Amino acid sequence: MEILAFASFAVLVVAWLLAPTKAVAVETSAEGRAAA
Amino acid sequence: MEKIDTGDTAWLLASAALVMLMTPALGFFYGGLVRRKNVLATIMHSFFILCLISVQWVLWGYSLAFGPDHGGIIGGLDWLSLRGVGQAPNPDYAPTVPALAFMVFQMMFAVITPALITGAFAERKRFKAFVVFTLLWATLVYDPVAHWVWGTGGWLRTLGTLDFAGGTVVHITSGVSALVAALVLGRRFGYGRDALEPHDATMTVLGASLLWFGWFGFNAGSALASGGLAANAFVVTNTAAAMSALTWMTVSWLHKGAPSVLGAAAGAVAGLVAITPASGFVDVSASILIGLGAGTFCYVGIQLTKRLRVDDALDVFGVHGIGGMWGALATGIFATVAVNAAGADGAAYGNFAQLGVQAIAVLASASYSAFMTFAILKLIDLFVGLRVPEHEEVLGLDASQHRERAYQI
Repeated sequence: MEILAFASFAVLVVAWLLAPTKAVAVETSAEGRAAA
Repeated sequence: MEKIDTGDTAWLLASAALVMLMTPALGFFYGGLVRRKNVLATIMHSFFILCLISVQWVLWGYSLAFGPDHGGIIGGLDWLSLRGVGQAPNPDYAPTVPALAFMVFQMMFAVITPALITGAFAERKRFKAFVVFTLLWATLVYDPVAHWVWGTGGWLRTLGTLDFAGGTVVHITSGVSALVAALVLGRRFGYGRDALEPHDATMTVLGASLLWFGWFGFNAGSALASGGLAANAFVVTNTAAAMSALTWMTVSWLHKGAPSVLGAAAGAVAGLVAITPASGFVDVSASILIGLGAGTFCYVGIQLTKRLRVDDALDVFGVHGIGGMWGALATGIFATVAVNAAGADGAAYGNFAQLGVQAIAVLASASYSAFMTFAILKLIDLFVGLRVPEHEEVLGLDASQHRERAYQI
């Protein structure tokens, strides 16, 4: 059971490394745009 | 007379207070997920239930759930308005604490269970219908099922069902009832066309965090004593919640391209649900696997529910129904007498029969809850009407049902 527990956590860590990291443009508020 | 242990009593009363906090926390969790025109009505569901069931429980609910057994089905009326429930312990349930302390601890479970269902019919249910539904559901569904599983002589308890803190009694009953309620009430106006997005994700994360905090009382308090078993339940509860949050966030990240904050919050709650029946019977390695399963199964279940266009508004079935079923079955897999000698070994330790017993408990609690919830809702629809009219739904329940507004800014 301990091996499965370690393995499942390792799978998550690998998934974080492989997961997409594309940034998406988010529309800002009028105030935000003015400040920028 | 049994001797009262002051440490056990202090822990149980503190746990009751922790569990009490969970119901307003649920109000915030759900309140953030609805549109701003419905936030007060949504929070009111939880707050009102805290008041309503607190009174129902002392008048007749506790007696039906834990009173002297009648055929394994229901408790008797011997303890109506807490007659005979006093400062002396009841050795059948908690031999080292006053019977009143055990009663009030159980009250908080009876309170939060119908509150969980409210997420399924959010943003469209008539307040009067909600009041009647809650009172009938608590009396006809929660109290009997609590007796089956936890009451002395209850038929599922006699069968050997393991449910440490309410996987069947709390989460399967509420989750399945939520699905039935969503189907009977129908979809919200604008479902599939308008966005229907959460109005305050920060409120939801705060609610989830407070739920997590309160859950230590829910699970570790269910040891009914301040000792090693409570410590085990505390640790596995925290571990499963964390693992499920990580898993849900990861699955949603791979599926939708971003690590969702609301997903992490929902995942934590799913993990807490799943570990609930197991928390007094499994070790920490098993809790990691239970959290992994909860984050995965509940996420996938919610995607399927949405694909079927069932408007379970705040995903109650996905989190509590599926999470509760997984937790109940996982208890039958991972339970070990090394953690709790009063429990049993599960399938992972060679006792496959325990998994069968757990499956019977899942089927019995789910089917009974579904049938009774359907009947109660149809009855209410006949006499009171379940939904607000369309123009009131468009206006929002805060204004139409309560004549109040959440935000003045």
